[in-house]
Amino acid sequence: MKIVGLESLVFAVDDVRSAARFLVDYGLTPVDVSDRGGRFEAMDGTAVVIARQDDPALPPGPTPGCRLRKTVMGVADEATLGAIAAELRRDREVRRLPDGSIESIDDCGFVIGFQVTARRPFVLPSEISNAPGGVVFRPVNSLGVPPPGSVIRPRSLSHVVYFVPDVMKAEAFYVNRLGFRCTDRFTGTGPFLQPAGSLDHHTHFLIGAPPHMHGVEHFTFHFGGPSEMITNGYRFVEKGYQAFWGPGRHILGSNWFWYFNSPFGCHIEMDADMDQHDASWQPREATASADNSQTFLLKMRRKWYPGPGIPENGDYA
Amino acid sequence: MATTREGARPGWVRLCRADEIEEGQSRGFDPDDEGQDSLFVVRWQGQLHAWRNACPHIDGAPMAWRRDAYLNAAGTRIVCHAHGAEFMPDSGLCVQGPCRGERLGHIEFVVDADGELFVKS
Repeated sequence: MKIVGLESLVFAVDDVRSAARFLVDYGLTPVDVSDRGGRFEAMDGTAVVIARQDDPALPPGPTPGCRLRKTVMGVADEATLGAIAAELRRDREVRRLPDGSIESIDDCGFVIGFQVTARRPFVLPSEISNAPGGVVFRPVNSLGVPPPGSVIRPRSLSHVVYFVPDVMKAEAFYVNRLGFRCTDRFTGTGPFLQPAGSLDHHTHFLIGAPPHMHGVEHFTFHFGGPSEMITNGYRFVEKGYQAFWGPGRHILGSNWFWYFNSPFGCHIEMDADMDQHDASWQPREATASADNSQTFLLKMRRKWYPGPGIPENGDYA
Repeated sequence: MATTREGARPGWVRLCRADEIEEGQSRGFDPDDEGQDSLFVVRWQGQLHAWRNACPHIDGAPMAWRRDAYLNAAGTRIVCHAHGAEFMPDSGLCVQGPCRGERLGHIEFVVDADGELFVKS
């Protein structure tokens, strides 16, 4: 089943205006936004959709506290859509919606949708590192650091991480019913999952958790590279948003990460430069400690040489 | 809420005027200059309450989603914007989410006769 990745995530919010400002400050582009909600797109058209929590059109969440109401996945073509509908109808209801998409529910209570992908292809250079002996270099006189005032936008919806009460059951649904494969695994925690139509290390990650945590840990968009992503993160912090973990780089997946609190009852991440794998990849397994999750973690130093505002004995004591 | 004329004594740090925090509002403070707000103050049903900015479900997790934004839109619950845990503003008791039944860390404070809000440093 050629599921190509996440198409959109739908959240119920208690303050549309604040949530909209948050998503725009993150870098997403508002499309058809009103006081009832709207759509916030990355460069390829993948999106976060928000709606007022009292909107009767919202599907239910897996638990009352979960603000994620629907995860929409993109598929390659109508044939795939039909195949998914036929597979899921074997044991559950599948609704065909007026927009041509289908809607059902997974085995851990998350409402899922599928549509023929509307991702807009685009070509825009990604970050390139110059190194002696290298093969690919940035064009001469082009700059590695995004200049002040440059526009940084998320490129594509990357992945979502669910807390699920029965991680084996949840994994079996995505692997056996929807054709995902496990790329790597945290022992006793859960699998990183890749759909058949994507090479990304993961579009889903499942974390086994007690029933009262059932919901979402985080979701994230891909950025053009680590420098762009971290620059965007610093701008986000300067706007008053609360960082949680990062910037750093994960080990499994190699993606650069920076996590922030959000008004969606879960973290939001910015990520860049995730590994890609094909079916020949052999999944690794590791214990889910912080040491196994971050290969390094960066810290900003605002002043690094003697000068105005630096104590006589330096800033290093 | 304690009231004293000795709020400015050594060992106490001034945060702000108590009346700057209005009903249903919250505000974070960094009295020890840690680079991140270590506590926050909310006013709920007329009374001020001060809590550690640390969700009990992950040690030390900061709770606001934006500077000073610790409450839900209605101003009726403190929310940890890491994983959505909700707390009563007056008791600090978690009533929904990953740390249900646990409590926020209480911060002792005084408001002096001039209406200034202090916490122990």
